[in-house]
Amino acid sequence: MTQGQVIGNKWDSYLTFLNAGYDERSALDSLGLKRYCCRRMLLSHVDLIEKLLNYSVAEKSSGE
Amino acid sequence: MSGKDVATKMKTRVILGEDRILHGSSFDAPTSFASVGVENGLNVEKFTEEVKVEVNDVSEDGNDLVFELSGVDAPLANTLRRILLSEVPTMAIEIAEFRDNTSVIQDEVFAHRLGLVPIKADPAFFETHVSGNEHTPENTLIFDLNVKCFRDINNEVVNSKVFASALVWTPFGEQAERFAENPPQVVHPDILLAKLAPGQRIDVRCYVTKGVGKVHAKWSPVATASYRLLPEPVIVAQPKSEEASRIAQTCPTKVFDIEDSGELVVARPRQCTMCRECIRPPPDAQHSAHGVYTPAVELRRVKTHFIFSVESTGILPPDRLVRDAIGVLKDRALFYAELFDQKDFEEHMAAASHSDGDDDASDDETKPMLE
Ligand code: SF4
Repeated sequence: MTQGQVIGNKWDSYLTFLNAGYDERSALDSLGLKRYCCRRMLLSHVDLIEKLLNYSVAEKSSGE
Repeated sequence: MSGKDVATKMKTRVILGEDRILHGSSFDAPTSFASVGVENGLNVEKFTEEVKVEVNDVSEDGNDLVFELSGVDAPLANTLRRILLSEVPTMAIEIAEFRDNTSVIQDEVFAHRLGLVPIKADPAFFETHVSGNEHTPENTLIFDLNVKCFRDINNEVVNSKVFASALVWTPFGEQAERFAENPPQVVHPDILLAKLAPGQRIDVRCYVTKGVGKVHAKWSPVATASYRLLPEPVIVAQPKSEEASRIAQTCPTKVFDIEDSGELVVARPRQCTMCRECIRPPPDAQHSAHGVYTPAVELRRVKTHFIFSVESTGILPPDRLVRDAIGVLKDRALFYAELFDQKDFEEHMAAASHSDGDDDASDDETKPMLE
């Protein structure tokens, strides 16, 4: 998850910052994302995989 | 100003006016300023004397480097920048062999994410792997990722997030001894690669090979490499004190200071962003009889002085990257120097232009090389 700058390791910390009550601006600043092309990646990211994971069938079929 | 001074200024400075840019291009012809006696040709001794590199700033983590390169022309500085972006080799995951993937992320999407993970391994120890050839310990590193998400006895979900730290290096051949001191690893172990639900599993073997950024951006060793020309705001006519404080206040990056005597001075020229706010005519500006407003400040940039900033992805330290880039440039220059020196160079050229025609035999010869 990089676009030049590595951002794949920042999503979780970004969420932690937001949950701790920081606004988006200071959260992104403290992650060291200066350029707007880095910032928009986190700002506009929708974590769709969480929704898809609800439809998992592996657990039932593998019987674990 | 004498003709010589004017020529030197044209040669070395870009001037930003309110509505125009003066002398933006370089003057390439050696005789451009011959009429006023200013030398414009390339001269190796003079070049080596003038070229200067000064390191300004290294970030805390050592990955960002700001340095100044002066005494070179834009083409050379740009060559260095472009080599940094696309021709300094690094190691990255090129082939991902999936043994099992029951996650909601498709193989190809996951493989793409794997490719972009920076791998800390010195490319100098490896040869380039030619696609189709066998993988050997000299050209390939192997990383394995095998993660299974499940519920433990307390019904807690384990391994629901797959991080880059799950990529484990598997020594190939005698690599275990070769890299005993400095085992290859991922630069950022905390990169989130995938999320799993209980029962899902990813098992993949990754082949890491050497490559350059122009083939795929995953091999680019820098986040960015960029430069700007050294700004040079100059006060050409000392303004009256109210005008001076207006200019000092209007500058968004606080380039100017007002001395106790009320004089306007350029205190922090490097902060100038060339926004031109200080040369915009104020509403009550004094225009000359011809309707021309002459600002107190002249905005210039030094054409031969580059403030470089190199941000490494963490694979190699930025100073090493710059050195490697210069090495790449040197190799290429030597290649061409040798080529031009060859006695049969002209024959080569003649032969090359000949085979451009509809010669079937030469077409067949070039095909395997392209593949
Ligand atoms: S161009 Fe902008 S930043 Fe530069 S000195 Fe003028 S007002 Fe300041």
